[in-house]
Amino acid sequence: MNLAAMQGLLPLLVLGLGAAVLMLQISIRRQLGWSYAITVATLLLGAAAMEPAMQVAPLQVTPLLRVDNLGLFFGSLFCLSGAVTAVISRDYLRSREGENEEYFLLLLLSTLGAVILAYSTHVAALLLGLELLSVALYALIAYPERGTLPLEAAIKYLVLSGAASATLLFGFALIYAALGSLEYAEIAVQISAGRAATSPALILMGAAMVFAGLGFKLSVVPFHMWTPDVYEGAPAPISGFLAGVSKGAVFIAVLRWFLESGFFQYSSLLAGITLLSIASILVGNLLALLQTNVKRILAYSSIAHLGYLLIVLVAAGVSPEPGLAVEAGGYYVVAYVITTLAAFSLLGLISRQSGDREYDQLSDLAGLFWKQPGLAALFTVALLSLAGIPLTAGFIGKFYLISAGVDAALWGLLAALVIGSAIGIFYYLRIIYTMTTVGEQANPGTTADMLVGSRLVVYLLIFAMLYLGIVPEPLMGYLRTIL
Amino acid sequence: MMESLFYMAGFVAFTATVLSLSRTNATHALIYLIISLLAVAVMFYLMGAPFAAALEIVVYAGAIMVLFVFVIMMLNLGQAGEQRERQWLAPRIWIVPTLLALILLVEMALAITQISGTTSGVEVTPKEVGLTLFGPYLLAVEIASMLLLAGLVGAYHLGRRSIDRSRQS
Repeated sequence: MNLAAMQGLLPLLVLGLGAAVLMLQISIRRQLGWSYAITVATLLLGAAAMEPAMQVAPLQVTPLLRVDNLGLFFGSLFCLSGAVTAVISRDYLRSREGENEEYFLLLLLSTLGAVILAYSTHVAALLLGLELLSVALYALIAYPERGTLPLEAAIKYLVLSGAASATLLFGFALIYAALGSLEYAEIAVQISAGRAATSPALILMGAAMVFAGLGFKLSVVPFHMWTPDVYEGAPAPISGFLAGVSKGAVFIAVLRWFLESGFFQYSSLLAGITLLSIASILVGNLLALLQTNVKRILAYSSIAHLGYLLIVLVAAGVSPEPGLAVEAGGYYVVAYVITTLAAFSLLGLISRQSGDREYDQLSDLAGLFWKQPGLAALFTVALLSLAGIPLTAGFIGKFYLISAGVDAALWGLLAALVIGSAIGIFYYLRIIYTMTTVGEQANPGTTADMLVGSRLVVYLLIFAMLYLGIVPEPLMGYLRTIL
Repeated sequence: MMESLFYMAGFVAFTATVLSLSRTNATHALIYLIISLLAVAVMFYLMGAPFAAALEIVVYAGAIMVLFVFVIMMLNLGQAGEQRERQWLAPRIWIVPTLLALILLVEMALAITQISGTTSGVEVTPKEVGLTLFGPYLLAVEIASMLLLAGLVGAYHLGRRSIDRSRQS
């Protein structure tokens, strides 16, 4: 490994070094403030390390990872999202005593896993990144020391995620048996060389199993059962990380896997993805209507959003020029990650002094507009963005998706998207309506004691969602150059 | 010849797994699971991957399974537990596992002394495994170390929680 490779891997090196330093700090002296500062500094540095790394991109570093603009851009997005989660967690953990230093260490490791996923061009890197992301998340979900809900959520996630990883591995094994390679590019070469023709069933079965395993992480219907329970049980900032970063990273990995290993030529696979997409959109949105717990509503809404995102895969596979679809996917992931983080940040922030339980019932939000207008504004913008109302990031993302779908003439998927969005508006607006009512509420409701970092993050998130919705051109142009 | 040994080991692995799944007693299930792992190790060996075979035995059949057995046995302390243990480990329980293990032993002896070559045609020596791991797959080793760190820290935190609780009660 030479100096250029080191420079390309700088974001990963920064994160790894940060984790080592943080571990030493915890072992020498437990101090939450220091752990927090090291974590945020590491994550911001990791995001900034994209700049020097970009100078050597594109560069293949060992068969496992490739440093290119796509990976670097999303890697730094995940680093920044990790930093946002850390800041919100600091406020959230203040009233929850116990040994909280490891929380930040696990968060750092989990983010490292997400960044590795964005870089991976080899099955081994994909698996290791995925496992690093998930193993750290198991512990983070179960982190709160009191209450059984987090433990239940963590065990659910652990068992189902283990089964999904096994499915994924088996799929890769079948593909390896048929093609004899684990590198994406090499797989593509083998498929186009016609080696796939000798055992098409094996490859198709393998690809389907791989997609099922990854579909679990993306919580696509019918692999979605765990989502609402896990989001409800996990601490709110971690639910946000799980919904935003974990899903975003896995989606980027799936996108890379499909684009680079040439599986788009299997039309039956695309048909399967189409079905899963439609099912996710309809099931996610319809079940969200029945919930009274805000975290569960957001969980079902994230299922629906991943259904929208799958349109990108189908569009990229069907149309001869996948550029527009990939661009739309990139934009949507950015918008989705920011919006999801914003929505769960609010839940984390209003629950910062709630003791053992979190304020996640719809009724807990009643009157929020009058008591904590800043936070209510954040949540309103986030919900409008999730619903896809103009002037927010979500609107542009959806617009982009629709244009990619029209370009590829996917009318069935577009119909599902329109119906799903229409249903979605109802339950998003219901939350906003609840926030405006004046009612009895348990929430003590004051923003006076919020930490400066959290305030800053709230403003930043509002700004990002509105900026991407009003002036989308810079990001669009940027994505066009890197994809 | 090599192939028939391989399929025989596969048959042993399959039988042991099915038996392990259908046992109602956890200790008996574990014994069959160990046999199944040993059979998989023999399959690895016959395919030409002696290093993977050794790891399978050391890590899975050795470390992990012994830990399992210890935990199960530790849950049954006291006089009644001893009685139950003796009942679980009655001689007739051992007949089938011993037979299966004997098949594997004979296969191993044959493979080492009588026959040369592998079913896949290539032999991957431990040296090659090491060179690959610390050559092109160096980063995988590094990432795996981070993965272990995450697992360790997570296990520490969750374990502490249950220790605290047992102290309180």
